[in-house]
Amino acid sequence: MTELAIEARGVERVFVSRKGFFLNEITRTEALRGVDLNVEAGEIFGLLGPNGAGKTTLTKILSTLLLPSKGEAKVLGLDVTKEAAKLRPRMGLVLGGERGLYNRVSARENLRYFADLYGVPVAEREHRIQKVLDRVGLIESADRRVEEYSRGMKQKLHLARGILHEPEILFLDEPTIGLDPKSARETRKLIRGLVTDGVTIFLTTHYMFEAEELCHRLAVLTKGRVVGRDTVAGLRALVGGDRTLEVEGYGFEDAEVEALKRLPGVSKIVSEEFGPRLRLTLRLRTGELRVDAVRALLNSHPELTVRERQTSLEDVYLDLVGDGS
Amino acid sequence: MTLSRSARWRASLAAVRISALQFLADPQWLIPSMIAPVIFGLVAFELFRGLGQYFAIYAILGAGMMSMWGQTLYGSGWATGQDREFGTLEPTLQAPTPYLYVILGRVTWNVLTGLIGGAIVYGVVVLANGSVPALQNPAGFVLLFAFVILSLAAVGIVFAAFYVYTRYAGFIQNIGEFAFYVGTGCMFPVVLLPFWTNPIALAFPPTWALDALRYLAIPGYQGFAWGFWPDLAGAFATTGIYLAIAGTVFRRVERHVLEIGDVQDY
Ligand SMILES: Nc1ncnc2c1ncn2[C@@H]1O[C@H](COP(=O)(O)OP(=O)(O)OP(=O)(O)O)[C@@H](O)[C@H]1O
Ligand SMILES: [Mg+2]
Repeated sequence: MTELAIEARGVERVFVSRKGFFLNEITRTEALRGVDLNVEAGEIFGLLGPNGAGKTTLTKILSTLLLPSKGEAKVLGLDVTKEAAKLRPRMGLVLGGERGLYNRVSARENLRYFADLYGVPVAEREHRIQKVLDRVGLIESADRRVEEYSRGMKQKLHLARGILHEPEILFLDEPTIGLDPKSARETRKLIRGLVTDGVTIFLTTHYMFEAEELCHRLAVLTKGRVVGRDTVAGLRALVGGDRTLEVEGYGFEDAEVEALKRLPGVSKIVSEEFGPRLRLTLRLRTGELRVDAVRALLNSHPELTVRERQTSLEDVYLDLVGDGS
Repeated sequence: MTLSRSARWRASLAAVRISALQFLADPQWLIPSMIAPVIFGLVAFELFRGLGQYFAIYAILGAGMMSMWGQTLYGSGWATGQDREFGTLEPTLQAPTPYLYVILGRVTWNVLTGLIGGAIVYGVVVLANGSVPALQNPAGFVLLFAFVILSLAAVGIVFAAFYVYTRYAGFIQNIGEFAFYVGTGCMFPVVLLPFWTNPIALAFPPTWALDALRYLAIPGYQGFAWGFWPDLAGAFATTGIYLAIAGTVFRRVERHVLEIGDVQDY
Protein backbone atom coordinates (compact mmCIF):
# COMPACT_ATOMS: atom_id res chain seq x y z
CA MET A 1 0.00 0.00 0.00
CA THR A 2 1.24 3.44 -0.88
CA GLU A 3 1.36 6.07 1.77
CA LEU A 4 -1.08 8.92 1.32
CA ALA A 5 0.32 12.43 1.36
CA ILE A 6 -3.10 14.06 1.08
CA GLU A 7 -6.44 12.68 2.11
CA ALA A 8 -9.47 14.93 1.75
CA ARG A 9 -12.95 13.80 2.76
CA GLY A 10 -16.05 15.78 1.95
CA VAL A 11 -14.29 19.12 2.07
CA GLU A 12 -16.67 22.04 1.74
CA ARG A 13 -15.99 25.73 1.94
CA VAL A 14 -18.46 28.59 2.00
CA PHE A 15 -17.30 32.19 1.79
CA VAL A 16 -19.49 34.78 3.39
CA SER A 17 -18.67 38.20 2.07
CA ARG A 18 -20.08 41.49 3.24
CA LYS A 19 -20.54 44.66 1.31
CA GLY A 20 -22.05 48.08 1.84
CA PHE A 21 -21.10 50.85 4.24
CA PHE A 22 -22.41 48.96 7.26
CA LEU A 23 -21.27 45.61 5.81
CA ASN A 24 -24.90 44.56 5.77
CA GLU A 25 -25.16 43.04 2.30
CA ILE A 26 -24.20 39.43 2.71
CA THR A 27 -23.41 37.02 -0.11
CA ARG A 28 -22.55 33.36 0.29
CA THR A 29 -20.29 31.59 -2.18
CA GLU A 30 -20.02 27.84 -2.11
CA ALA A 31 -16.47 27.48 -3.34
CA LEU A 32 -16.11 23.75 -2.54
CA ARG A 33 -19.04 21.37 -2.33
CA GLY A 34 -17.68 18.14 -0.97
CA VAL A 35 -14.25 17.29 -2.33
CA ASP A 36 -12.73 13.82 -1.86
CA LEU A 37 -9.14 13.42 -2.91
CA ASN A 38 -6.21 11.10 -2.34
CA VAL A 39 -2.68 12.05 -3.28
CA GLU A 40 0.05 9.49 -2.90
CA ALA A 41 3.40 10.32 -1.37
CA GLY A 42 6.02 11.12 -3.99
CA GLU A 43 3.67 11.88 -6.86
CA ILE A 44 2.92 15.05 -8.79
CA PHE A 45 -0.79 15.61 -8.54
CA GLY A 46 -2.44 18.18 -10.78
CA LEU A 47 -5.66 20.04 -10.19
CA LEU A 48 -7.40 21.44 -13.26
CA GLY A 49 -10.56 23.45 -13.53
CA PRO A 50 -12.06 26.64 -14.91
CA ASN A 51 -11.72 30.03 -13.23
CA GLY A 52 -13.57 30.09 -9.96
CA ALA A 53 -13.76 26.29 -9.74
CA GLY A 54 -12.22 26.32 -6.26
CA LYS A 55 -8.61 25.32 -7.00
CA THR A 56 -6.99 28.07 -4.97
CA THR A 57 -9.52 27.55 -2.18
CA LEU A 58 -8.66 23.85 -1.98
CA THR A 59 -4.94 24.61 -2.15
CA LYS A 60 -5.26 27.05 0.76
CA ILE A 61 -7.27 24.61 2.85
CA LEU A 62 -4.73 21.84 2.35
CA SER A 63 -1.88 24.22 3.18
CA THR A 64 -3.56 25.37 6.45
CA LEU A 65 -4.24 28.90 5.25
CA LEU A 66 -8.00 28.50 5.26
CA LEU A 67 -10.35 26.38 7.35
CA PRO A 68 -12.87 24.11 5.65
CA SER A 69 -16.51 24.80 6.49
CA LYS A 70 -17.13 21.04 6.54
CA GLY A 71 -15.26 17.82 6.00
CA GLU A 72 -11.72 16.99 6.92
CA ALA A 73 -8.32 16.80 5.32
CA LYS A 74 -5.07 15.20 6.30
CA VAL A 75 -1.69 16.10 4.89
CA LEU A 76 1.27 13.85 5.73
CA GLY A 77 -1.11 12.08 8.07
CA LEU A 78 -1.82 15.26 10.07
CA ASP A 79 -5.15 17.03 10.29
CA VAL A 80 -4.91 20.40 8.54
CA THR A 81 -7.14 22.19 11.04
CA LYS A 82 -6.10 20.55 14.30
CA GLU A 83 -2.42 19.81 13.72
CA ALA A 84 -1.39 22.78 11.60
CA ALA A 85 1.49 23.67 13.91
CA LYS A 86 3.13 20.29 13.37
CA LEU A 87 2.37 20.31 9.70
CA ARG A 88 3.55 23.76 8.68
CA PRO A 89 7.30 23.18 9.05
CA ARG A 90 6.97 20.21 6.69
CA MET A 91 4.99 21.84 3.89
CA GLY A 92 5.62 24.60 1.38
CA LEU A 93 3.13 26.86 -0.38
CA VAL A 94 3.56 28.95 -3.50
CA LEU A 95 0.60 31.16 -4.27
CA GLY A 96 2.56 33.32 -6.66
CA GLY A 97 1.42 36.61 -8.11
CA GLU A 98 2.51 40.21 -7.80
CA ARG A 99 1.80 40.39 -4.06
CA GLY A 100 3.09 38.42 -1.11
CA LEU A 101 6.63 39.83 -1.09
CA TYR A 102 8.33 42.75 0.63
CA ASN A 103 8.84 44.97 -2.39
CA ARG A 104 11.12 47.53 -0.81
CA VAL A 105 13.78 45.06 0.25
CA SER A 106 15.92 42.70 -1.77
CA ALA A 107 15.04 39.17 -2.77
CA ARG A 108 17.78 37.88 -0.50
CA GLU A 109 16.37 39.76 2.50
CA ASN A 110 12.91 38.41 1.72
CA LEU A 111 14.34 34.90 1.77
CA ARG A 112 16.30 35.55 4.98
CA TYR A 113 13.14 36.67 6.70
CA PHE A 114 11.09 33.69 5.65
CA ALA A 115 13.97 31.28 6.31
CA ASP A 116 13.85 32.44 9.93
CA LEU A 117 10.07 32.17 10.06
CA TYR A 118 10.33 28.62 8.77
CA GLY A 119 13.02 27.71 11.27
CA VAL A 120 15.81 27.07 8.78
CA PRO A 121 18.93 26.50 10.94
CA VAL A 122 21.07 29.66 11.17
CA ALA A 123 24.21 27.86 10.10
CA GLU A 124 22.57 26.69 6.89
CA ARG A 125 20.59 29.77 6.06
CA GLU A 126 22.90 31.68 3.72
CA HIS A 127 23.95 28.53 1.92
CA ARG A 128 20.35 27.45 1.38
CA ILE A 129 19.34 30.88 0.14
CA GLN A 130 22.17 30.80 -2.36
CA LYS A 131 21.13 27.33 -3.45
CA VAL A 132 17.45 28.15 -4.06
CA LEU A 133 18.32 31.43 -5.78
CA ASP A 134 20.51 29.44 -8.08
CA ARG A 135 17.85 26.84 -8.61
CA VAL A 136 15.24 29.38 -9.74
CA GLY A 137 17.77 31.47 -11.66
CA LEU A 138 17.75 34.65 -9.59
CA ILE A 139 21.37 34.70 -8.40
CA GLU A 140 22.26 37.77 -10.42
CA SER A 141 19.33 39.87 -9.20
CA ALA A 142 19.32 38.56 -5.65
CA ASP A 143 20.34 41.88 -4.14
CA ARG A 144 18.01 44.07 -6.12
CA ARG A 145 14.81 45.36 -4.55
CA VAL A 146 11.84 43.18 -5.38
CA GLU A 147 9.91 46.22 -6.68
CA GLU A 148 12.34 46.26 -9.60
CA TYR A 149 11.48 42.67 -10.45
CA SER A 150 9.40 41.68 -13.45
CA ARG A 151 6.35 39.56 -12.87
CA GLY A 152 8.15 36.37 -13.84
CA MET A 153 11.05 37.17 -11.52
CA LYS A 154 8.60 37.63 -8.66
CA GLN A 155 7.08 34.29 -9.53
CA LYS A 156 10.53 32.70 -9.30
CA LEU A 157 11.10 34.34 -5.95
CA HIS A 158 7.79 32.93 -4.70
CA LEU A 159 8.99 29.52 -5.80
CA ALA A 160 12.34 29.99 -4.09
CA ARG A 161 10.59 30.87 -0.84
CA GLY A 162 8.40 27.79 -1.15
CA ILE A 163 11.33 25.36 -1.29
CA LEU A 164 13.69 27.20 1.06
CA HIS A 165 12.90 25.05 4.11
CA GLU A 166 13.01 21.81 2.11
CA PRO A 167 9.40 20.80 2.61
CA GLU A 168 8.18 17.22 2.21
CA ILE A 169 5.11 18.39 0.35
CA LEU A 170 4.80 21.44 -1.85
CA PHE A 171 1.60 23.19 -2.93
CA LEU A 172 1.91 25.18 -6.12
CA ASP A 173 -0.94 27.39 -7.33
CA GLU A 174 -0.30 28.00 -11.03
CA PRO A 175 3.48 27.83 -10.67
CA THR A 176 4.42 28.81 -14.23
CA ILE A 177 2.01 31.70 -14.67
CA GLY A 178 3.81 34.73 -16.06
CA LEU A 179 6.98 32.83 -16.87
CA ASP A 180 8.58 32.97 -20.29
CA PRO A 181 8.73 29.62 -22.14
CA LYS A 182 12.31 28.93 -21.16
CA SER A 183 11.75 29.78 -17.48
CA ALA A 184 8.52 27.78 -17.48
CA ARG A 185 10.39 24.80 -18.82
CA GLU A 186 13.13 25.22 -16.20
CA THR A 187 10.49 25.45 -13.52
CA ARG A 188 8.91 22.21 -14.69
CA LYS A 189 12.35 20.67 -14.60
CA LEU A 190 12.82 21.97 -11.07
CA ILE A 191 9.48 20.45 -10.06
CA ARG A 192 10.49 17.08 -11.49
CA GLY A 193 13.80 17.39 -9.68
CA LEU A 194 12.00 17.96 -6.38
CA VAL A 195 9.98 14.80 -6.93
CA THR A 196 13.18 12.88 -7.53
CA ASP A 197 14.30 14.13 -4.12
CA GLY A 198 11.12 12.61 -2.66
CA VAL A 199 8.91 15.70 -2.42
CA THR A 200 5.19 15.30 -3.08
CA ILE A 201 3.79 18.00 -5.35
CA PHE A 202 0.23 19.28 -5.50
CA LEU A 203 -0.21 21.81 -8.27
CA THR A 204 -2.95 23.68 -10.06
CA THR A 205 -2.61 24.78 -13.65
CA HIS A 206 -4.53 26.01 -16.65
CA TYR A 207 -1.95 24.63 -19.08
CA MET A 208 -2.98 21.22 -20.37
CA PHE A 209 0.43 20.33 -21.77
CA GLU A 210 1.98 21.19 -18.43
CA ALA A 211 -0.44 18.91 -16.61
CA GLU A 212 0.14 16.18 -19.18
CA GLU A 213 3.90 16.55 -19.06
CA LEU A 214 4.25 16.76 -15.29
CA CYS A 215 1.45 15.08 -13.46
CA HIS A 216 1.20 11.45 -12.55
CA ARG A 217 -2.44 11.90 -11.71
CA LEU A 218 -4.98 14.65 -12.17
CA ALA A 219 -8.29 15.83 -10.84
CA VAL A 220 -10.68 18.12 -12.64
CA LEU A 221 -12.65 20.47 -10.45
CA THR A 222 -15.76 22.32 -11.60
CA LYS A 223 -17.97 24.49 -9.43
CA GLY A 224 -16.49 23.07 -6.28
CA ARG A 225 -16.83 19.40 -7.23
CA VAL A 226 -14.36 16.86 -8.55
CA VAL A 227 -15.73 15.61 -11.88
CA GLY A 228 -12.83 13.39 -12.84
CA ARG A 229 -9.78 12.04 -11.08
CA ASP A 230 -7.26 9.66 -12.61
CA THR A 231 -4.11 9.36 -14.69
CA VAL A 232 -4.17 11.10 -18.07
CA ALA A 233 -4.85 7.71 -19.71
CA GLY A 234 -7.54 6.95 -17.17
CA LEU A 235 -9.23 10.30 -17.80
CA ARG A 236 -9.15 9.62 -21.54
CA ALA A 237 -10.92 6.35 -20.94
CA LEU A 238 -13.43 8.18 -18.77
CA VAL A 239 -14.55 10.46 -21.58
CA GLY A 240 -14.18 8.02 -24.45
CA GLY A 241 -10.79 6.79 -25.41
CA ASP A 242 -7.41 7.47 -26.92
CA ARG A 243 -8.60 8.27 -30.40
CA THR A 244 -10.46 11.27 -31.69
CA LEU A 245 -11.75 11.94 -35.21
CA GLU A 246 -12.29 15.46 -36.43
CA VAL A 247 -14.78 15.96 -39.24
CA GLU A 248 -15.08 19.37 -40.89
CA GLY A 249 -17.47 20.62 -43.53
CA TYR A 250 -19.96 23.36 -44.41
CA GLY A 251 -22.73 22.17 -42.09
CA PHE A 252 -24.22 18.76 -41.44
CA GLU A 253 -27.79 17.46 -41.28
CA ASP A 254 -29.10 16.24 -37.93
CA ALA A 255 -29.68 12.86 -39.54
CA GLU A 256 -26.02 12.72 -40.54
CA VAL A 257 -24.90 13.46 -37.01
CA GLU A 258 -27.22 10.73 -35.75
CA ALA A 259 -25.74 8.31 -38.28
CA LEU A 260 -22.22 9.20 -37.12
CA LYS A 261 -23.25 8.56 -33.53
CA ARG A 262 -24.40 5.05 -34.52
CA LEU A 263 -21.01 4.17 -36.02
CA PRO A 264 -19.19 1.52 -34.00
CA GLY A 265 -17.17 2.81 -31.06
CA VAL A 266 -18.33 6.44 -31.17
CA SER A 267 -18.91 7.54 -27.59
CA LYS A 268 -19.55 11.20 -27.99
CA ILE A 269 -19.80 13.96 -30.59
CA VAL A 270 -19.05 17.60 -29.88
CA SER A 271 -19.74 20.24 -32.51
CA GLU A 272 -18.02 23.60 -32.85
CA GLU A 273 -18.39 26.33 -35.46
CA PHE A 274 -15.39 27.86 -37.20
CA GLY A 275 -16.81 30.66 -39.35
CA PRO A 276 -18.77 28.97 -42.11
CA ARG A 277 -17.38 25.57 -41.26
CA LEU A 278 -18.58 23.17 -38.67
CA ARG A 279 -16.31 20.77 -36.83
CA LEU A 280 -17.59 17.55 -35.33
CA THR A 281 -15.26 15.93 -32.83
CA LEU A 282 -15.89 12.20 -32.44
CA ARG A 283 -14.56 10.53 -29.35
CA LEU A 284 -13.83 6.86 -30.02
CA ARG A 285 -14.02 4.15 -27.43
CA THR A 286 -12.63 1.38 -29.61
CA GLY A 287 -10.14 1.06 -32.44
CA GLU A 288 -12.37 -0.30 -35.20
CA LEU A 289 -13.74 2.88 -36.80
CA ARG A 290 -11.66 4.04 -39.79
CA VAL A 291 -11.47 7.48 -41.38
CA ASP A 292 -12.71 5.96 -44.66
CA ALA A 293 -15.96 4.81 -43.09
CA VAL A 294 -16.74 8.35 -42.00
CA ARG A 295 -15.82 9.70 -45.45
CA ALA A 296 -18.11 7.16 -47.07
CA LEU A 297 -21.03 8.20 -44.87
CA LEU A 298 -20.59 11.89 -45.70
CA ASN A 299 -19.52 11.52 -49.37
CA SER A 300 -22.04 14.12 -50.60
CA HIS A 301 -20.19 16.94 -48.80
CA PRO A 302 -17.78 19.06 -50.81
CA GLU A 303 -14.46 19.95 -49.20
CA LEU A 304 -14.92 17.48 -46.40
CA THR A 305 -11.92 16.88 -44.16
CA VAL A 306 -11.61 13.97 -41.79
CA ARG A 307 -8.56 13.40 -39.67
CA GLU A 308 -7.61 11.24 -36.80
CA ARG A 309 -5.60 12.34 -33.80
CA GLN A 310 -4.93 11.25 -30.27
CA THR A 311 -7.43 12.46 -27.70
CA SER A 312 -5.73 15.34 -25.96
CA LEU A 313 -6.02 16.21 -22.32
CA GLU A 314 -7.74 19.37 -23.46
CA ASP A 315 -10.49 17.27 -25.10
CA VAL A 316 -10.89 15.36 -21.89
CA TYR A 317 -10.91 18.51 -19.83
CA LEU A 318 -13.48 20.27 -21.99
CA ASP A 319 -15.72 17.21 -21.91
CA LEU A 320 -15.54 16.95 -18.14
CA VAL A 321 -15.97 20.63 -17.47
CA GLY A 322 -18.77 20.92 -19.97
CA ASP A 323 -20.66 18.10 -18.29
CA GLY A 324 -20.16 19.57 -14.90
CA SER A 325 -22.43 22.54 -15.52
CA MET B 1 7.68 18.50 14.96
CA THR B 2 6.55 21.99 15.83
CA LEU B 3 9.01 24.84 15.73
CA SER B 4 11.44 24.99 18.67
CA ARG B 5 11.33 27.83 21.14
CA SER B 6 14.70 29.20 20.07
CA ALA B 7 13.59 29.17 16.44
CA ARG B 8 10.57 31.23 17.42
CA TRP B 9 12.67 33.89 19.09
CA ARG B 10 14.87 33.93 16.05
CA ALA B 11 11.76 34.71 14.05
CA SER B 12 11.16 37.68 16.37
CA LEU B 13 14.66 38.90 15.61
CA ALA B 14 13.99 38.43 11.91
CA ALA B 15 10.91 40.61 12.33
CA VAL B 16 13.01 43.36 13.96
CA ARG B 17 15.39 43.12 11.05
CA ILE B 18 12.79 43.26 8.29
CA SER B 19 11.08 46.19 10.10
CA ALA B 20 14.39 48.03 10.15
CA LEU B 21 14.99 47.33 6.47
CA GLN B 22 11.51 48.50 5.54
CA PHE B 23 11.98 51.59 7.68
CA LEU B 24 15.27 52.45 6.01
CA ALA B 25 13.78 51.89 2.58
CA ASP B 26 10.89 54.27 3.10
CA PRO B 27 11.58 57.91 4.02
CA GLN B 28 7.96 58.55 5.09
CA TRP B 29 8.80 56.97 8.46
CA LEU B 30 11.15 59.82 9.21
CA ILE B 31 8.14 62.07 9.74
CA PRO B 32 6.43 60.33 12.69
CA SER B 33 9.65 59.03 14.22
CA MET B 34 12.14 61.88 13.80
CA ILE B 35 10.49 65.06 12.55
CA ALA B 36 7.23 65.02 14.51
CA PRO B 37 9.07 64.74 17.86
CA VAL B 38 10.99 67.93 17.11
CA ILE B 39 7.76 69.77 16.43
CA PHE B 40 5.94 68.19 19.38
CA GLY B 41 8.83 69.16 21.62
CA LEU B 42 8.81 72.80 20.52
CA VAL B 43 5.02 73.13 20.70
CA ALA B 44 4.91 71.53 24.16
CA PHE B 45 7.69 73.82 25.34
CA GLU B 46 5.61 76.89 24.45
CA LEU B 47 2.36 75.35 25.68
CA PHE B 48 3.60 74.49 29.17
CA ARG B 49 5.69 77.62 29.74
CA GLY B 50 3.18 79.05 32.22
CA LEU B 51 3.01 75.97 34.42
CA GLY B 52 5.67 76.83 36.94
CA GLN B 53 9.30 75.90 37.23
CA TYR B 54 8.85 72.26 36.14
CA PHE B 55 7.17 73.07 32.86
CA ALA B 56 10.13 71.67 30.87
CA ILE B 57 9.48 68.24 32.35
CA TYR B 58 5.82 68.53 31.40
CA ALA B 59 6.90 69.34 27.91
CA ILE B 60 9.34 66.46 27.71
CA LEU B 61 6.93 63.92 29.14
CA GLY B 62 3.96 65.10 27.11
CA ALA B 63 5.62 65.44 23.74
CA GLY B 64 7.91 62.46 24.29
CA MET B 65 4.94 60.33 25.15
CA MET B 66 3.02 61.53 22.11
CA SER B 67 5.85 60.62 19.88
CA MET B 68 6.41 57.24 21.50
CA TRP B 69 2.73 56.49 21.49
CA GLY B 70 2.34 57.44 17.85
CA GLN B 71 5.25 55.27 16.91
CA THR B 72 4.13 52.17 18.81
CA LEU B 73 0.54 52.46 17.86
CA TYR B 74 1.11 53.41 14.27
CA GLY B 75 4.09 51.22 13.81
CA SER B 76 2.66 48.08 15.33
CA GLY B 77 -0.83 48.21 13.98
CA TRP B 78 0.43 49.54 10.71
CA ALA B 79 3.01 46.80 10.31
CA THR B 80 0.26 44.19 10.24
CA GLY B 81 -1.93 46.42 8.12
CA GLN B 82 0.93 46.61 5.66
CA ASP B 83 1.37 42.85 5.75
CA ARG B 84 -2.23 42.68 4.61
CA GLU B 85 -1.68 45.29 1.95
CA PHE B 86 1.47 43.66 0.59
CA GLY B 87 -0.13 40.22 0.69
CA THR B 88 2.68 39.07 2.99
CA LEU B 89 0.27 38.22 5.80
CA GLU B 90 -0.61 35.01 3.94
CA PRO B 91 2.87 33.50 3.78
CA THR B 92 3.60 34.85 7.26
CA LEU B 93 0.60 33.13 8.79
CA GLN B 94 1.32 29.99 6.79
CA ALA B 95 4.84 29.83 8.19
CA PRO B 96 5.26 27.69 11.31
CA THR B 97 6.17 30.62 13.59
CA PRO B 98 3.12 31.79 15.54
CA TYR B 99 2.33 35.32 14.37
CA LEU B 100 2.66 36.63 17.92
CA TYR B 101 6.44 36.20 17.67
CA VAL B 102 6.52 38.24 14.49
CA ILE B 103 4.48 40.94 16.22
CA LEU B 104 6.85 40.94 19.19
CA GLY B 105 9.70 41.67 16.79
CA ARG B 106 7.77 44.37 14.97
CA VAL B 107 6.72 46.00 18.26
CA THR B 108 10.29 45.87 19.55
CA TRP B 109 11.44 47.77 16.51
CA ASN B 110 8.70 50.35 16.94
CA VAL B 111 9.50 50.79 20.62
CA LEU B 112 13.13 51.39 19.66
CA THR B 113 12.24 54.07 17.13
CA GLY B 114 9.75 55.49 19.65
CA LEU B 115 12.57 55.78 22.17
CA ILE B 116 14.65 57.61 19.61
CA GLY B 117 11.68 59.96 19.16
CA GLY B 118 11.50 60.42 22.91
CA ALA B 119 15.22 61.18 23.03
CA ILE B 120 14.80 63.77 20.29
CA VAL B 121 12.02 65.47 22.24
CA TYR B 122 14.27 65.50 25.29
CA GLY B 123 17.09 67.05 23.30
CA VAL B 124 14.87 69.69 21.73
CA VAL B 125 13.31 70.76 25.02
CA VAL B 126 16.66 70.82 26.80
CA LEU B 127 18.07 72.99 24.00
CA ALA B 128 15.06 75.33 24.06
CA ASN B 129 15.20 75.51 27.84
CA GLY B 130 18.93 76.08 27.93
CA SER B 131 19.48 73.59 30.77
CA VAL B 132 18.82 70.00 31.81
CA PRO B 133 15.75 69.84 34.06
CA ALA B 134 16.30 68.03 37.35
CA LEU B 135 14.09 65.07 38.28
CA GLN B 136 12.63 64.65 41.71
CA ASN B 137 13.21 60.89 41.87
CA PRO B 138 15.58 59.83 39.08
CA ALA B 139 15.86 56.13 40.02
CA GLY B 140 12.11 55.65 40.32
CA PHE B 141 11.65 57.59 37.13
CA VAL B 142 13.96 55.35 35.14
CA LEU B 143 12.27 52.20 36.46
CA LEU B 144 8.82 53.50 35.73
CA PHE B 145 9.92 54.71 32.36
CA ALA B 146 11.03 51.20 31.45
CA PHE B 147 7.62 50.02 32.52
CA VAL B 148 5.93 52.66 30.36
CA ILE B 149 7.72 51.17 27.40
CA LEU B 150 6.36 47.75 28.28
CA SER B 151 2.86 49.19 28.60
CA LEU B 152 3.21 50.83 25.20
CA ALA B 153 4.34 47.55 23.72
CA ALA B 154 1.33 45.80 25.25
CA VAL B 155 -1.00 48.25 23.54
CA GLY B 156 0.95 47.83 20.29
CA ILE B 157 0.48 44.07 20.39
CA VAL B 158 -3.24 44.39 20.94
CA PHE B 159 -3.56 46.78 18.02
CA ALA B 160 -1.57 44.42 15.83
CA ALA B 161 -3.98 41.66 16.83
CA PHE B 162 -6.86 43.84 15.65
CA TYR B 163 -5.20 44.17 12.27
CA VAL B 164 -4.84 40.43 11.93
CA TYR B 165 -8.42 40.01 13.07
CA THR B 166 -10.02 42.38 10.66
CA ARG B 167 -9.15 44.39 7.61
CA TYR B 168 -11.17 47.23 9.12
CA ALA B 169 -8.83 47.70 12.08
CA GLY B 170 -7.83 51.17 10.88
CA PHE B 171 -11.14 52.32 12.30
CA ILE B 172 -10.28 51.17 15.82
CA GLN B 173 -6.76 52.51 15.49
CA ASN B 174 -7.92 55.99 14.56
CA ILE B 175 -10.22 56.10 17.57
CA GLY B 176 -7.36 54.93 19.80
CA GLU B 177 -5.08 57.61 18.54
CA PHE B 178 -7.61 60.37 18.91
CA ALA B 179 -8.60 59.25 22.40
CA PHE B 180 -4.98 59.13 23.42
CA TYR B 181 -3.92 62.54 22.20
CA VAL B 182 -6.98 64.24 23.59
CA GLY B 183 -7.60 62.17 26.67
CA THR B 184 -4.34 61.26 28.30
CA GLY B 185 -3.15 64.68 29.17
CA CYS B 186 0.06 64.14 27.30
CA MET B 187 -0.54 67.38 25.45
CA PHE B 188 -2.69 69.12 28.03
CA PRO B 189 -2.66 68.51 31.78
CA VAL B 190 -5.49 66.12 32.64
CA VAL B 191 -7.00 68.48 35.19
CA LEU B 192 -7.71 71.01 32.44
CA LEU B 193 -9.57 68.50 30.31
CA PRO B 194 -13.32 67.98 30.45
CA PHE B 195 -14.17 65.02 32.63
CA TRP B 196 -15.73 62.94 29.82
CA THR B 197 -12.35 62.48 28.18
CA ASN B 198 -10.97 60.64 31.21
CA PRO B 199 -12.72 57.27 30.87
CA ILE B 200 -11.47 56.87 27.30
CA ALA B 201 -7.95 57.74 28.27
CA LEU B 202 -8.01 55.48 31.31
CA ALA B 203 -8.50 52.48 29.03
CA PHE B 204 -4.87 52.94 27.94
CA PRO B 205 -2.09 51.89 30.33
CA PRO B 206 0.21 54.78 29.38
CA THR B 207 -2.32 57.27 30.76
CA TRP B 208 -1.86 55.87 34.26
CA ALA B 209 1.85 55.39 33.89
CA LEU B 210 2.37 58.88 32.53
CA ASP B 211 0.54 60.42 35.45
CA ALA B 212 2.64 58.34 37.86
CA LEU B 213 5.76 59.46 36.02
CA ARG B 214 4.85 63.07 36.57
CA TYR B 215 4.52 62.44 40.30
CA LEU B 216 8.05 61.09 40.29
CA ALA B 217 9.45 63.90 38.19
CA ILE B 218 7.71 66.98 39.54
CA PRO B 219 7.56 67.95 43.23
CA GLY B 220 4.05 68.90 44.31
CA TYR B 221 2.46 67.54 41.13
CA GLN B 222 -1.33 67.18 41.24
CA GLY B 223 -2.71 64.80 38.63
CA PHE B 224 -5.58 62.40 38.99
CA ALA B 225 -7.31 62.87 42.32
CA TRP B 226 -6.29 59.43 43.57
CA GLY B 227 -2.55 60.16 43.57
CA PHE B 228 0.66 58.25 42.84
CA TRP B 229 0.11 54.71 44.16
CA PRO B 230 -3.30 54.12 42.59
CA ASP B 231 -1.78 55.50 39.38
CA LEU B 232 0.93 52.90 39.58
CA ALA B 233 -1.52 50.13 40.40
CA GLY B 234 -3.72 51.23 37.51
CA ALA B 235 -0.77 51.20 35.15
CA PHE B 236 0.19 47.65 36.17
CA ALA B 237 -3.39 46.44 36.03
CA THR B 238 -4.16 47.88 32.61
CA THR B 239 -0.86 46.63 31.19
CA GLY B 240 -1.62 43.20 32.61
CA ILE B 241 -5.03 43.27 30.97
CA TYR B 242 -3.55 44.24 27.61
CA LEU B 243 -0.90 41.54 27.79
CA ALA B 244 -3.52 39.00 28.77
CA ILE B 245 -5.73 40.07 25.89
CA ALA B 246 -2.80 39.93 23.50
CA GLY B 247 -1.63 36.53 24.70
CA THR B 248 -4.95 34.73 24.76
CA VAL B 249 -6.65 36.48 21.91
CA PHE B 250 -3.84 35.95 19.43
CA ARG B 251 -4.36 32.26 18.92
CA ARG B 252 -8.06 32.82 18.41
CA VAL B 253 -7.38 35.73 16.10
CA GLU B 254 -5.22 33.56 13.88
CA ARG B 255 -7.94 30.95 13.77
CA HIS B 256 -10.60 33.55 13.13
CA VAL B 257 -8.94 34.86 9.96
CA LEU B 258 -8.46 31.36 8.63
CA GLU B 259 -12.15 30.85 9.20
CA ILE B 260 -13.21 34.10 7.55
CA GLY B 261 -10.69 33.64 4.78
CA ASP B 262 -9.84 37.29 4.18
CA VAL B 263 -6.12 37.12 4.97
CA GLN B 264 -5.33 38.33 1.47
CA ASP B 265 -7.66 41.35 1.69
CA TYR B 266 -6.92 44.84 2.90
N1 LIG C 1 -12.09 35.41 0.07
C1 LIG C 1 -13.16 35.11 -0.69
N2 LIG C 1 -14.35 35.66 -0.41
C2 LIG C 1 -15.45 35.36 -1.13
N3 LIG C 1 -15.46 34.50 -2.17
C3 LIG C 1 -14.31 33.90 -2.49
C4 LIG C 1 -13.09 34.17 -1.77
N4 LIG C 1 -12.09 33.43 -2.32
C5 LIG C 1 -12.66 32.74 -3.33
N5 LIG C 1 -13.98 33.01 -3.43
C6 LIG C 1 -14.93 32.42 -4.40
O1 LIG C 1 -14.77 31.02 -4.37
C7 LIG C 1 -14.83 30.49 -5.67
C8 LIG C 1 -13.57 29.69 -5.96
O2 LIG C 1 -12.47 30.58 -6.04
P1 LIG C 1 -10.97 30.08 -6.28
O3 LIG C 1 -10.10 31.25 -6.15
O4 LIG C 1 -10.73 28.92 -5.40
O5 LIG C 1 -11.05 29.60 -7.78
P2 LIG C 1 -9.86 29.05 -8.72
O6 LIG C 1 -10.29 27.70 -9.18
O7 LIG C 1 -8.57 29.15 -8.04
O8 LIG C 1 -9.95 30.06 -9.94
P3 LIG C 1 -8.77 30.64 -10.88
O9 LIG C 1 -8.52 29.61 -11.93
O10 LIG C 1 -9.40 31.85 -11.48
O11 LIG C 1 -7.59 30.94 -10.03
C9 LIG C 1 -15.05 31.66 -6.60
O12 LIG C 1 -16.43 31.74 -6.88
C10 LIG C 1 -14.61 32.85 -5.81
O13 LIG C 1 -15.35 33.98 -6.16
MG1 LIG D 1 -6.85 30.26 -8.38
